[in-house]
Amino acid sequence: MGKLERGKLHHRSHKMLILLIATLLSACGTSTELTNNTASDTVPRTPEGHPDFNGVWQALTTASWNIQDHNAQKGVPAGQGIVHGNEIPYQEWAAAQQQENYQNRADLDPLHKCYLPGVPRIMYMPYPFRINQTSELTAITFEYSHAFRWIWTNGTEHPEALEFWMADSRGHWEGDTLVVSVADFNNQTWFDRAGNFHSEELTLVERYSPMGPNHINYEVTVEDPKVFTRPWTMSTVLYRRLEENVQTLDYECLEFEEPFLPWDEVPVPGMPGPPEQQN
Amino acid sequence: MHDFAATMIRILTSTVVTILMSTAAIVGQSSTSTTWGDPDIEGIFTFATITPLQRPGNVDGKTILTAEEAASLEERTARERVDRPPRPGDTGTYNRFWVDYGTKVVATKRTSLITDPADGKLPAVVQQVQQRNKASRATGPQSPSGHEDLSITDRCIMGFNAGPPFLPSAYNNTVQIFQTPDYVVILNEMIHDARIIPINGNPELSDNIRQWLGSSRGYWDQNTLVVETKNFSSGRELLGGVNIWRYPNAGTSDRSARLIERFTRLDAATINYEFTLNDPGTWTQPWSATFPLVEIDTNVFEYACHEGNYSAANILSGARADEMNSH
Repeated sequence: MGKLERGKLHHRSHKMLILLIATLLSACGTSTELTNNTASDTVPRTPEGHPDFNGVWQALTTASWNIQDHNAQKGVPAGQGIVHGNEIPYQEWAAAQQQENYQNRADLDPLHKCYLPGVPRIMYMPYPFRINQTSELTAITFEYSHAFRWIWTNGTEHPEALEFWMADSRGHWEGDTLVVSVADFNNQTWFDRAGNFHSEELTLVERYSPMGPNHINYEVTVEDPKVFTRPWTMSTVLYRRLEENVQTLDYECLEFEEPFLPWDEVPVPGMPGPPEQQN
Repeated sequence: MHDFAATMIRILTSTVVTILMSTAAIVGQSSTSTTWGDPDIEGIFTFATITPLQRPGNVDGKTILTAEEAASLEERTARERVDRPPRPGDTGTYNRFWVDYGTKVVATKRTSLITDPADGKLPAVVQQVQQRNKASRATGPQSPSGHEDLSITDRCIMGFNAGPPFLPSAYNNTVQIFQTPDYVVILNEMIHDARIIPINGNPELSDNIRQWLGSSRGYWDQNTLVVETKNFSSGRELLGGVNIWRYPNAGTSDRSARLIERFTRLDAATINYEFTLNDPGTWTQPWSATFPLVEIDTNVFEYACHEGNYSAANILSGARADEMNSH
């Protein structure tokens, strides 16, 4: 444990040096990246000087039900949307597809089948996640179904011609903002339970910007030439979970949702199919 | 004002020099330590090995293979790893080419991964488990009446080798370890399971909360990361990672089950992994095993088990068809 304490001291001394420089520079009236945000003075930092996002975080939003403005329904809280301007620029066919998805969401929502939620939906679902940040890798481990994301910050690029449920993420720092390019999607995940969808040509640019020690502004720009007429952007806030000893636990979707799957009533020739879903 | 600015520049210069010096100190540290001074066990590793968990009957009483015996075993394994067409009547499942037990025995050439008991075999199970196994054998294999009759591996809830503890098996024996000053994360490719291990003295999780991977706390004992895990889910069929199919005398983990794992870096490419499982609800004594984690130059890839799980639906569909045909 001695080494660990030394590590902490080391970490702290860097933080103090950076704070000292920031203070001095602002005293000189010099504008720098370190002082471009009044919150930056209180942001914990890694030895390299980047914001230190290590910890348990959670979005407090209803976006996983619907990323746009919506009224309450049974089991769904009303919510203010997170899409900038509240409009999603669907191509005409895609707008019709989204409507169909919405009508059949109880069956078609990929989460209903316990599939991995994909990105960005996993970021604003009502479950906590832990950010584990090292100098070359920011790994996010999610409570929901043990999902995880690797955000490599070591200058490597997306692999080509692969599709993943949770896509592939490569990041770099722009000042205090972690900018993440997300690609290699499949076409199976949705943005929310309201049927907002994408194709395998989806790419995202996520921006994680500290607003202070305990808040991250999470902004994501969405581009998919097969489904949308132009790029569009959403943003929400990630909150640091501050409860003492908080840790992510298990939410193993398959434990609970399977009875709703048709697995137990798989139709075989000559047999009736599964009973209609009660909704 | 001029003097003030000059003083500022002096302070800033000395600060920058200090930062550069401490950066140099970090760079100059041994690659076996992290920048904050903990032993460095980061990397992507495989725990595949052809050394069996239990000592096979044909080498009873023998702890270590001779170099010739080890070479012969490895040579035979490599020779047999070929892609062959399915045998007549076989629908075409994996053949030996597609399984990835590796082709090497462990570097110590031990005849079993189990080190304790000394005979290299799993200890006896407690009487209650014996009775349960006897009853299960008496009824024979049952057709699943629903998904809950399938194993948690078939249901994609847990993998058969990711543990904890790890147990070398047929494929996806890949694990990535990464560290921060307060946490070590152990991420298994199999079923995308990550264990997040506080090493900062966080209090233990309440005994009321049960998890598939248990709840782990770790600490450094000199160069060794020691991880203690408890709070295992009582519904867990993989007794401390021991697959119920392969070791049918394994039962459901007792609530009091405790696992201790030790990770020690041996050299730039190897971490020694040891574990001791103490599960008095199942085994008559604790047992231990050890094997290396060998660094590999690859990435961990997404393992989406459930998303492509046609087997579960087909097994259930087959069971329903059987029932219909038997009426």
